[in-house]
Amino acid sequence: MTPSPPDAAVHVRDLRKAYAVHEKEPGFLGSVRSFVSRQTRLVEAVRGVSFDLHPGEIVGFLGPNGAGKTTTLKMLSGLLHPSGGEARVAGFEPRRREAAFLRQITLVMGQKQQLIWDLPALDSFLVNQAIYEIPDDQYRATMREYTDVLGLDGILKKQVRKLSLGERMKCELAAALLHRPRVLFLDEPTIGLDVNMQESVRAFVRDYNERHGATVILTSHYMADVTALARRILVIDQGALVFDGDLGSLAGQARAGKTIRLQLRSPVTAQALAGYGQDVSVDGLSAQLSVPRAQVSERAARLLADLDVADLTVEDPSIEAVMADLFGHRTPPAPAPTTLERA
Amino acid sequence: MSRPGPLNTARVLFATRLAEMAEYRAEVVIWMLSGTLSLVMMLVWMAQAQGAPGGQIRGYDAAGFATYFLSTWLVSQLLVVWVAWELDFEIRQGTLSAKLLRPLDPMWTHYASHVAERLVRIVPMLVLVTIFALLSGARFTTQWWAYPAALGLAALGFTARFLYEYAIGLLAFWTESSTSFQELAWLVYAALGGMFAPLNFYPAWVQSVAVWTPFPYMLGLPAQLLAGKAGPKDALRGALIMLGWLVVFWFLRLAVWRAGLKKYGAVGA
Repeated sequence: MTPSPPDAAVHVRDLRKAYAVHEKEPGFLGSVRSFVSRQTRLVEAVRGVSFDLHPGEIVGFLGPNGAGKTTTLKMLSGLLHPSGGEARVAGFEPRRREAAFLRQITLVMGQKQQLIWDLPALDSFLVNQAIYEIPDDQYRATMREYTDVLGLDGILKKQVRKLSLGERMKCELAAALLHRPRVLFLDEPTIGLDVNMQESVRAFVRDYNERHGATVILTSHYMADVTALARRILVIDQGALVFDGDLGSLAGQARAGKTIRLQLRSPVTAQALAGYGQDVSVDGLSAQLSVPRAQVSERAARLLADLDVADLTVEDPSIEAVMADLFGHRTPPAPAPTTLERA
Repeated sequence: MSRPGPLNTARVLFATRLAEMAEYRAEVVIWMLSGTLSLVMMLVWMAQAQGAPGGQIRGYDAAGFATYFLSTWLVSQLLVVWVAWELDFEIRQGTLSAKLLRPLDPMWTHYASHVAERLVRIVPMLVLVTIFALLSGARFTTQWWAYPAALGLAALGFTARFLYEYAIGLLAFWTESSTSFQELAWLVYAALGGMFAPLNFYPAWVQSVAVWTPFPYMLGLPAQLLAGKAGPKDALRGALIMLGWLVVFWFLRLAVWRAGLKKYGAVGA
C-alpha cells in the first residue's frame, strides 16, 4: 500500500474498476440467443487513476459522458468496490463503509435521494439527525445556517412530493450535509436547475467550503459551476486521468473558441457567415458560429455592423467542446440545416 | 431530540415511518382485503364439512374450519412482508445508494416501516375479523393466555419471515429480478404454514418435512392457539424453535448482504 501524504483528504493510487455487462442483439431472435447463451463484455470504467486532494480544496472533476467520473466518485464514497488499486478518504478505506467514515463524507447525485417522498422535508432531516446522532444544539445551528444560505424558509413543512425541482434540490443538499461532512462528492449537483437555482447551489457550496474547510470534488456539465468553484481541475477520459492542473491552463490548452449566437431579422446563408468564424450553422433566423477567444469583440462588432441582428449572445464553449478540443473526441454537432466545417 | 444513540434512532425511525404509513391507511385496508386466500379456503372447507357424514372432517365441523381459517388469516396479516419487492427495486434502480451512504444498515429502515404498518393495520384488521367471525360462526378460544402466546409467536414469525425475505430480495445483486424467488418462497410458506388446510390434513411425509421448517410454527401454530387446538407446551416449543430459526436467518441475511455489496453496481444513481 502506498503511504498517503499525511495531510491528504483524498488519496487515490492506481484505482481501477472493471465490470461485466450483458449484451444482446435486438428483437426476438436476439432474445432467444441471449436466453441460450448469454454474451458478456468486460468494461474497464476506471483504469489506474491516481491523485491526492488537500483538505479544503475544491476540485472540478471533468470528462465526457462515460469517462469514469461517477464510477470514481462511487468508489471514493464506498458504494462500489474497486477492482484494484488504493483509495483513502479522510483516512479511511471507503470500501469498508465504516460508520466513522460515512459520518465524514457525503455524495450528492441527482435530485431524488434522501428525502421521504410523502412527508415534509423536516421529517427527513429529523431522521438524519437521529441516524448521524447530531446533538440538538448542532442540529439547530446547522438548520439556521442552511435555511439562511439556501432560503429554506417556508418549504420545510411542505410534503416533499409537492416541492418544485429547485426546492427539492435545496432540501436534498441540506439533508446530505446536515452532519457537516468533511469531504463532499457532488455529482452534477445543478443538473436540471434554472440559472438562479444553479447560482444558489454554487453559493451554498462555496459558503460551506469556506465555513467548514471541507474538501469538495465536483462533476458538472455546466462550465459556470466549475469556473465559479474550482481552481484545480482533474480531467478523466476513457477511464484514465489525462489532466491535473489549474483552470487557466486547461482553458489555455483548448483550441475551442467562444460561441456567438445570433437572432437575425432577415435570413442569411451559411456562406455569408463563413468569413466571421468557424463551425457555422444556420436555422431560419437563428445562427451560431465559433470564433477565437481573442477576436470575440472584433467579430461581434463586425457582425452587428454588417448584418440585421436582433440579438447577439456570446457563450463559453461547453465542457464537452473543450474536452473534444483537448483530447480529440469530437462530439457530434447538433443537427442543423446548413453546416460549414472550418470555413 | 432525546439523548443521541440507537434507542433514539429507533424511536425517530419508527415515528417517521408510522407517519408515512398513515398516509397510506386506505391502501393498507385494500391490501388487507386482497389477501383473502384463507377466507376462500374457509368457504371451501366449511362447505365440505357441511356435506360430510356427521358434518365433520377429521374433527373439524363448519364452525371449526371457520375458526381455524379466520385465525390463519388474522396471523397472516401480522406476517405480511414486502421487503423483497422493495430491495429488488432499490438494487436494480440504484436507489439503494442513498441509503448506503448513511451510517445505519438500511435493513432497520425497512424493519421500522413494516412494524409501523402493523399498527396502522391493527384496528381495521380487528373490525374485519369481528365481522367475518359473526358471519361465519367462528368461535375463538376462551383461554386468555393463548392470545399473548399467539401474538408472541406471530412477532417471532414476522421477524423470521422479514429476515429470510430480506435475504431473498438481496438476490437482486446477482439476478435480473429476485421477486420470482419471493413468489416461490410464498408458496412454500402458505402451504406448510397451513393456509390451504390444517397441517394434519397433509400426507404424512409432507408433515414430517414441514416440522423441519419454520412455517408451521410461524403461521399454523399461532392460528391453532387462537382456535383452541394447541396448548401452552406447544406454544413454548414453537417459540424455542422460532428463536433458533431467527438466529439462522439473522446470519443468513448478514452473509448475503456482505457478499452482495461486493457485487453492487450502483447503477443509475
